[in-house]
Amino acid sequence: MSPVPAAALLSAFAVAALLADRTVSVAAIAIVLLGVCLRAPRRRRWPYLAGTLLSGLVLFLFSPLLGSYGGVVYWEGPTVPVLGRLDVTSNELEEALFQGLRLASVGLAFAAYALLLDHDRLLQAGGRLRRSVLAVALATRLLPTLERDAAGYVEALRGRGVEVEGLRGRARLLSPLLAGSLERSLNLAESMEARGFGRPGRTRAPRPAWRRIDRLAIAASVLLVVSGVLWL
Amino acid sequence: MALARVDRLGYRHPDATRPALEDVSLELQAGELVCLLGPSGSGKSTLLRALAGLVPHFHGGTFAGRVEVGGRDTRRARPSELAGTVASVFQDPEDQVVFTLVANEVEFGLENLGVPAAQIPLRARAALEAGGVGHLARRRTSELSAGELQRVCLASALALGPELLLLDEPTSQLDPEAAERLLERLGELEAAAVVSEQRPALPLEHCDRVLFLEAGRLLLDAPREPALDWLERNRPAYLGKLQVVTNEDRAVPDQIVVRLEHVAHAYDGRHAVGPASLEVGRGEIVALTGPNGSGKTTLAKLAAGLLEPASGRVDRKGRAAYLSQDPGRYVVAERVDEEVALGVGGDLARARKAIGTVGLGGFEARHPRDLSSGERERVALAAVLVTDPDLLVLDEPTRGMDPDRKRALAALLRRDSARRATLVVTHDLSFAGDVADRAVSLETSRELVVA
Repeated sequence: MSPVPAAALLSAFAVAALLADRTVSVAAIAIVLLGVCLRAPRRRRWPYLAGTLLSGLVLFLFSPLLGSYGGVVYWEGPTVPVLGRLDVTSNELEEALFQGLRLASVGLAFAAYALLLDHDRLLQAGGRLRRSVLAVALATRLLPTLERDAAGYVEALRGRGVEVEGLRGRARLLSPLLAGSLERSLNLAESMEARGFGRPGRTRAPRPAWRRIDRLAIAASVLLVVSGVLWL
Repeated sequence: MALARVDRLGYRHPDATRPALEDVSLELQAGELVCLLGPSGSGKSTLLRALAGLVPHFHGGTFAGRVEVGGRDTRRARPSELAGTVASVFQDPEDQVVFTLVANEVEFGLENLGVPAAQIPLRARAALEAGGVGHLARRRTSELSAGELQRVCLASALALGPELLLLDEPTSQLDPEAAERLLERLGELEAAAVVSEQRPALPLEHCDRVLFLEAGRLLLDAPREPALDWLERNRPAYLGKLQVVTNEDRAVPDQIVVRLEHVAHAYDGRHAVGPASLEVGRGEIVALTGPNGSGKTTLAKLAAGLLEPASGRVDRKGRAAYLSQDPGRYVVAERVDEEVALGVGGDLARARKAIGTVGLGGFEARHPRDLSSGERERVALAAVLVTDPDLLVLDEPTRGMDPDRKRALAALLRRDSARRATLVVTHDLSFAGDVADRAVSLETSRELVVA
């Protein structure tokens, strides 16, 4: 599938998840997107999946304590200043599940975009917005690049017998990761300028024509958003 | 008329205490292949950047003299305007890649130059074939080995059809065969090419002319034959002859420190190495060579215990240390001594001793990121040597290192070799000849061949 219809379809899934009112609909969207993400190689997909699913889980676990939606009370806790009385009710659990799945769906749509789309061709489709789209494409690559750098630092440390463990161990990598990222961006900018980036009169490599599946994806995207408003 | 003319060029980087280039004058003629030599930090990369217009436009600093390329003064023409006339390949291929797919990466420069749309894929494909990486066109750049990525960057430069090709250590990640093919190809080009190299044996065989820089000054600018005479008299280390390593006189080591038996490994289902077997004993230095993509690094990581084999077994006695081929991975701490001390629980005294061993005494308080690439390489070496391992695994330790420094490293490794088993992954056969007791070649067939 061409990247533009694919990006439109993923966006439509995310929008539908935000518009839908029923837990089962959002759950179905999350399952579909999870299936899509599982097509990516295991080594690349795990940080995205772990981050997204963990975020959804945290929302599911903590939001019932803070919400007040009534229903059957399952647990009553202490009263905390500012937050009020902590409790867990049937309605709060339902709402937490709904919001957790919604967050996971949006995260999974982004994960599928980052893991599976041909960002280069998406960039080529940017037309007049090419510079902005290039910035987005480079930003999208930032996460995998940081992930690779972090793995490199961890490997170099393990190579001298230092295990990186716990939050504190990983936090130590933040500063070199940031500095390395800045250094790389300067080198990349230099390389781009040396290859004529920014020169007037640029052209574009020809893009393959859309196929039937691409047109179907666009139609499905519209249908998904409309369904999200009306039925889901 | 000269293709490029450098007239009394002087340049000082912003905040630098001494100039990177001083009073450099030279001319480059169309079609000639020029070998640019000199120690680390002598100004080779800066000279290449000046010829591309990146100095001073991109880097700032103080610029004196004049550089003209294709009749255009680089102070007036921006690097992007010179692109097409000039094409550059920088030292670190990973930092040059913009796109996700190889074909798109090569097409990028052509699009910027305004090449007609219909010609772009054809020229990109031809450049990839010329670079010997046509089969990688649809691969993701992030999945390529360093050597493959280096050839993709070269293809990106060749695609532009430049009159002047500037290559900063273009063979540093290539196996000898690929390096030979590259230099043969450069010799066939109509374009002039300036090749900065720290493995000078091959470029010296193929070049028309030699430049030698030291401390920012051009000490030598001569055709090949007189230049070889000059190097023989003044800088013999740069003529390091290729030695064939044999195992005929090898003493059988008393203790095998690491034994790999029929090990194999794959990344995400993609076969990386094996089945392969190898053993390294205490007191011996083994050079592991082989073509790009043959799985040398994977085998080295298996030996060091950084990877687990998918099949086969690894027996290791004692502690292993592994030196990554990227010295940029040794910049976690804020000071050089603290970085080196990470492997010994923060023991700064041991760290300082190791720093002295690699010739960086006085650098202890510097930030590792402020050092040159050659200095970073030595910090990385100190960071693994300080752990005093039973098995020392070094992955391309001479990348970016000048011949004098390589000799010093070989001497250092040999001096302490009795204490440990040492496995050195390298494309640098001259270095392998200097340092190793025996060489093991990992061929693409994944079988080990003992030289």
